[in-house]
Amino acid sequence: MNKKLVSAILCGAMVLGTVSPVFAEEDGVKIALVAKSAGNAFFEIAAASFVETAEAEGSTVDIIYPEEATADAQIKSLDNLISQDYDVICISANDENALQAKLEEAMDAGIKVVSFDSAVNSDSRQVFVNQAGVTEVAQALMDAVYDIAGGEGQWAILSATSQATNQNAWIDAMKEIMESDEKYADLELVEVAYGDDESQKSTDQTEALVTNYPDLKVICAPTTVGIAAAAKYLQDNDCTCKLTGLGLPSEMLEYTGEGDDYSCPYFYLWDMQGLGTLAAYTSIAIANEEITGAEGETFTAGDLGDYTIVAASDGGTEIVLGLPLEFNPDNIEEMAELY
Amino acid sequence: MAGKSGRSINNVPESPIKHMIFSWEGILVLLFAAVNIFCAWFSEFYNVSSVLRQMPVYLAEVFLMLTMAFILVMGEIDISVGSIVCLAATISCIVCNAGAPFVIVVLVALLVGTVCGAVNGLILTRVPELPPMIVTLATQIIFRGIAEIILGSGGSVSLSNTAGFKAIAGKVGGQVPYILFLVLILGVIAAVILGKSTFGRKVYAIGTNRVTAHYSGIHVQKIRFIIYTVMGTISGLCALFIVSSSYGANTTTGEGFEMDAIAMAVFGGISSTGGKGNIAGGLIAAFIIVCLRIGLGQRNVHSQVILLIIGVLLVAAVALPNIIGQIQKAAKVKKS
Repeated sequence: MNKKLVSAILCGAMVLGTVSPVFAEEDGVKIALVAKSAGNAFFEIAAASFVETAEAEGSTVDIIYPEEATADAQIKSLDNLISQDYDVICISANDENALQAKLEEAMDAGIKVVSFDSAVNSDSRQVFVNQAGVTEVAQALMDAVYDIAGGEGQWAILSATSQATNQNAWIDAMKEIMESDEKYADLELVEVAYGDDESQKSTDQTEALVTNYPDLKVICAPTTVGIAAAAKYLQDNDCTCKLTGLGLPSEMLEYTGEGDDYSCPYFYLWDMQGLGTLAAYTSIAIANEEITGAEGETFTAGDLGDYTIVAASDGGTEIVLGLPLEFNPDNIEEMAELY
Repeated sequence: MAGKSGRSINNVPESPIKHMIFSWEGILVLLFAAVNIFCAWFSEFYNVSSVLRQMPVYLAEVFLMLTMAFILVMGEIDISVGSIVCLAATISCIVCNAGAPFVIVVLVALLVGTVCGAVNGLILTRVPELPPMIVTLATQIIFRGIAEIILGSGGSVSLSNTAGFKAIAGKVGGQVPYILFLVLILGVIAAVILGKSTFGRKVYAIGTNRVTAHYSGIHVQKIRFIIYTVMGTISGLCALFIVSSSYGANTTTGEGFEMDAIAMAVFGGISSTGGKGNIAGGLIAAFIIVCLRIGLGQRNVHSQVILLIIGVLLVAAVALPNIIGQIQKAAKVKKS
C-alpha cells in the first residue's frame, strides 16, 4: 500500500517537473562566464571588466565557479549551463580536450562557445580570445630568464597544474625557443615543477628546487600564485636564485626591486582588464551573429578598437589582445593599485 | 525487504505498515520525492529530460556505491577506488589511442580495475590484521602514482578516436542514457546478492562479528578477497563512463570518488561500522544526492554551498537514527 502511495507521489513530482513554466526571454545577451575555480585573483580582474562591459551593453552575465579546479568539475558546471537558456558560454578551461564532448553538446543546443584566458581545443569552441600570442609571451619570458641569469646557468620553471593549457603552451614554446636559438645554448632548464596553483604547494616546490639545485640562477613562474609564493620564499631565505614570470603587481610589490634584497627584478603580465573587456565584446558579437568565429572576420570591440579574427596555432581561430606588459621597480607601485 | 537488513529505528517488531514508514528507506523515498518537488520549484529548468541529460557523470559514481556497500556492510572501507578509476581510465585511453578495438578497451579497463582490486584484496587477506583504511590509503597513493607516471609531464591523455566511448554514452530514444539502465540492472543484481543470497548473509555475518563468522565456518578471507576484487572491476567500469564524458583521462580523474560513493552508501543507511543497511537504501540516497546537485546546480548555486548542503544532510542522516533511538529509550525509561 505504502509503496503505491510513494510511487504515486514520485510520479507526481516528476510530472510536475516536466511542466515547469518557461519564463519569458529577456532582452540582451545572456552570458555564462565559467571560471577555472573560485579564488583566482587573476581571473577576477578579467571577470570584473567582463561584467562591467557586458552590462553596459545591456547583457546579463553569471559567473560560474566549478567546485574544484578540474576538468571533471567544469563538465558538471557545463551540464548545468546547457540545461538553462544561455546564449553564450565563455570559458577559461582547466583542460584543453576534456571539455570537448560537453562543449559540442552546448553548440548543438545552439549555445555559442567562446574560450578565453586558457583555451579549449579548436573543435570545442567558435573562437578563442587570447591575452597575447603564445610565442610573444614565451619570448618575453625567455629573454627575461636570459637577462637575469646573465646568459648562462641553470634555471627552472614553476608552473600551475600539469594540465593547465596556457601553462603548457608557454612552457613548450619556451623549450622550442631555447632549442632553436644558439643564444640560449648556455642555459640549462633543470626541471618543470608543478605547484598546482596552491600557495603552500608552490612554496614547497620552490624549496625543493632551491635545495636540489644549489646553482639554480633563475626560477620562471608563469602563474600568479606560483610567482607570489616563490617570491616570498626566495626573499625570506635570502636565496641567490632570482625570479621572473607572470604575476600580479599588488602581490609582487614587496618582492620587486633591484639588488639582493629583492627576489624579483621584473616580471610580466598582460592587460587582464583589456582581456575581460575584449572577451565580453567578442561574446556579444558572436551571440548577435555579427561574427561566427571564422578567420578574417572583423568587429569593433568598443573603446579597444577593431579586431580581426586570425588563425590560431592549434588549427582554430583566435583574437589576440596584444603583447605582455613588463612590471619593474619603476611602474609597479602605480600598477599595484590597478591589479 | 527493509526490515530484514535495513537500519531499523526500533528493534521491537511492529505492524508492517508502521515499520515501512519508519524504516530508513521509507524516509528516503519521501525525501527523494521532497527533493524533486523542491528542485522543480527552485529551478525553472529542472525536468525529466534535463535530469536525464545531466545524470551520466554522477551515475558513474553510483556504480562504486553498489560494491562499496558490500565493503561497508563488512565493516570495512576502501578509499583507493578513485585512484583505480584514474589508472583504469588512463590505461584504457592509451590502449584506445593505440588503435585497439573498443571491446579490447573495455576489457582492459575492467582488467586493470580487477587487478588493482585483487592487489587490495591480496594484501588485506594475507595480512588480515592490517586496517583496510590504511592499506587502501597506501594503494590509493600507489595507483594514482602509477597513473601519473604513465601520463608523464603533460598530465593528461585525450582520445584520438572517440567512437567507442561516444557509443556507450549513447541514449535510448535520444533521452534515457544507457548508463541509467546499467546502474539499475547492477543495482538489482547487487541487491539480490546482498539481500537474498547466502553470500550476502555471510557478508552481514562478517560485518556483525568477524570472529563469530569465522568460527561458524564462513570463509571470511575468501569473501573479503572476492569483494575487494569486484570493487576493482566496478571501478574499471566507472572509469569507462568517466572517459566517455571527458574523452580522456588526467591526473585528477576520479579524485574524491571514493568519498562520494561512501557518502551515498552511508546516507542510504549502510552503516560504516558494519552489519547494517541494504542496496535499496543506498540507491535511493544516491538518486537524492544526484537530483539535489542537478537542481541546485541549474540555478547556479555556488558549488561549495551545494557541497555544504550535502554535508549537512549526511551528518543529519547519520545522527538522526541515533537521536531517535535515544529519545525512544528515554521515553521507555520514563514509562517504567
